[in-house]
Amino acid sequence: MNYLYPIIKADYLQRSRSYAFLITLAVTVYAAYSFVPTPDASYTTFTIDGYRGVYNSAWVGHVSAMMSTLVLSLCGFFLVNSGIKKDIETEVGLIIATTQISNFGYLLSKLLSNLLVLLTISACALLMGILMFFIRSHGYPFHISDFLLPYFLMVVPAMFLVSGLAILAEVFLGRKTVLHCIFYIALFGGIMSNVNSNNNNPIEVITDGFGIRTVVNSVKNKVNTQFNENIENVSLGYTIHLGKKDYKTFEWNGVSWTGFYLFSRALWIGMILSLVYLSSSFFHRFDFKQTVRKKKEKDQESLLKATTAARTRFDKFTLPAVVPAYGIFPFIKTELLLMVRKDSKWLWFLNIGLWIATLFVPLHFAYTFLLPVLLFLQVGRISELVTKEKTNRLHYFTYASYKPLQRMLPAQIIAGFSLLIVLSLPVICRLFLTSGHMAAIQIINGCLLIVMLSTFLGIVSGSKKLFEILFFALTYLAFQGLAVAHYLGALPHENYKGFILSILMINVALLICSFAIRNYQTRNL
Amino acid sequence: MTLEIKNLTKQYNKQKTGLSDFSIRIDKGILGLLGPNGAGKSTLMKIIATISKPTGGTVFLNGEDIVKKPDTIRKTLGYLPQDFGVYPNLNAYEFLEYIAAMKGVGGSGLRKRIDMLLDGVNLTADAKRPIGSYSGGMKQRIGIAQTLLNDPKVLIFDEPTVGLDPEERVRFRELISEMASDAIVILSSHIVSDIETIADDVAIMKNGTLIDKAVPSELIRRIENRVFETSIAHSDLELFKAKHLVINTSRQVEKIQIRYISSSSEAEPGAKKVTAGLEDVYLFLTQSQH
Repeated sequence: MNYLYPIIKADYLQRSRSYAFLITLAVTVYAAYSFVPTPDASYTTFTIDGYRGVYNSAWVGHVSAMMSTLVLSLCGFFLVNSGIKKDIETEVGLIIATTQISNFGYLLSKLLSNLLVLLTISACALLMGILMFFIRSHGYPFHISDFLLPYFLMVVPAMFLVSGLAILAEVFLGRKTVLHCIFYIALFGGIMSNVNSNNNNPIEVITDGFGIRTVVNSVKNKVNTQFNENIENVSLGYTIHLGKKDYKTFEWNGVSWTGFYLFSRALWIGMILSLVYLSSSFFHRFDFKQTVRKKKEKDQESLLKATTAARTRFDKFTLPAVVPAYGIFPFIKTELLLMVRKDSKWLWFLNIGLWIATLFVPLHFAYTFLLPVLLFLQVGRISELVTKEKTNRLHYFTYASYKPLQRMLPAQIIAGFSLLIVLSLPVICRLFLTSGHMAAIQIINGCLLIVMLSTFLGIVSGSKKLFEILFFALTYLAFQGLAVAHYLGALPHENYKGFILSILMINVALLICSFAIRNYQTRNL
Repeated sequence: MTLEIKNLTKQYNKQKTGLSDFSIRIDKGILGLLGPNGAGKSTLMKIIATISKPTGGTVFLNGEDIVKKPDTIRKTLGYLPQDFGVYPNLNAYEFLEYIAAMKGVGGSGLRKRIDMLLDGVNLTADAKRPIGSYSGGMKQRIGIAQTLLNDPKVLIFDEPTVGLDPEERVRFRELISEMASDAIVILSSHIVSDIETIADDVAIMKNGTLIDKAVPSELIRRIENRVFETSIAHSDLELFKAKHLVINTSRQVEKIQIRYISSSSEAEPGAKKVTAGLEDVYLFLTQSQH
């Protein structure tokens, strides 16, 4: 297994030198700063109604670890779910396929490389957590174990799980981003759904994929015992509180990590390794037999046609005269064509089914849940609006074309926006018919926001990863009831007009920045 | 039609220089660009194609500064980069229509023009299947076809014959010769024979500078009577290399056959004079000058 080290190292270096990684790292450090809010902040990250732990090292360390687990599980999957895809695109996979490395060895190296990427980000969150303790603790003693143990026993196994799931998704679901999303959302939702279970019986501990519930239950028990309460539900994640909120504080001194908890983590790691081992039997090893066979047959056919066809000498003077046409409609047409052909046909059936459903289900349900799902299903199409020319190495042509900034970029934005508007049309019409004009306008505004986020992040990072992570996080948080995350404006706001205006201003800012940066890029390849 | 490049410099960072005070005048016809890897050929072509800005110097097309006004050349530019790609889900027609839109070409004659270009690169039979299913050579041919969509007056080809089979290379050379009748064609290739066959002028580059530029026959004349072939013992090879510029070696049973450029016009004993070629002069210029 000595060969694994250089493979993992090279893979890790390749990924960690990308803008997407660096930006994610920066965002995570900022997020880690927000994991420990000031006592008078308008939000909490670990919410037990009316109660808050004092900021001793146990509280800060465990909350920081739980939030890191939550945020990195949510976003980390999308950061690492393209390791094999990258080897296909760069054709490094073809070289790997000719070496002695076994399928399992290769997949294991990818899993460990995924893990290293996520652990690097976790380590930064850990350091930020420690820093936040010194900023917020007000004299409580510092115990390093209160930080290291939860990170080591909760975050590391959770990241192992996420890394493994990313490998399984790549092996079984191929390069379909949408399928990866559906697969992961279902699993993530399933795992997080019983975080509030009060049982600490062996089955419950074992089925807790991210290992959060042990800590949650320990805190709940402390509050219920100390204040004679019967709190059953707590909330992990950002919860916004409108107005000032007073808390009773309590001192929680951490969780005792039982042998059974450790066994449950080992079991998850073992299960992931077993699944990756099993999946290695199904791994394509960069041999896409069906495609290749068909291609060879067609190549032979065309070779036959070509050799039998009469060869005529090329004469440029017989070519029809060039007619100038500087409109952007042909670009929009091609962009739409590319979006339609992206992903398999059955996914379009799913889109059409959901689209029709938004016409008939109750408007509130269509607006709040169905439409965000339908729009999120387009993540693969929208995320590559401005990145596909670079991914397909076509940017040499586009950047050297006539007025690329005035024609290409607007066409890409218009095409993406048109797709989302068409998909939102039933809900927009229904809202207009029921006098929900402001909501209808916000849907249009929200669709533009999604397109502009994809455009801006794609241009800045050169990758679609950042947008995918953000879009997923927005959709997830919207379903969690976070009003500002529901970009379509389906959740109540104190100042709805202000919300619309804010999104509009963000759109304008993203538009200006996107054009400015792309202008620079087109002349500095 | 004249492309006038003056004192062009491209400094990527303190250590890396792409072009250094490079000047050349290019007229109608085919200019072959030769040079080792890293000589600055692709950098020069990217600057002319307006996708890279020089750090110094000027590029004028018919008196218009294309560094300041890139759209001047873009309307009449055909550019084939070294490592271009395609949208795999489009077929050849759709792809060429898309590129035509980029170049600002439309009208009712576009379809016929695409048909004729596809025929010119021998892709008519495959025009309706996705480009993702094409072989490397076929993708290269679609790349060549796209350069000709807008009746270009400046054509830039960076390693265009990579992946083409011998028959297709001949076809490409015919096509380029046809296009060069009223356009500037700049062609870089490591296959010296391609350049030798079709180029009107040859420019040899090294370390971001222009070493020499002339018609091929004139370049070859510079080493005329200095190219020889001989056979020597294996053990004498290192000594021989120290004395002359060895162009080519081929192993024989007990000896080694050598083609070399003599440091003087004198032949080694037993050596016979041979006709010099562009490859000889290319190696002579790039290996003997700094």
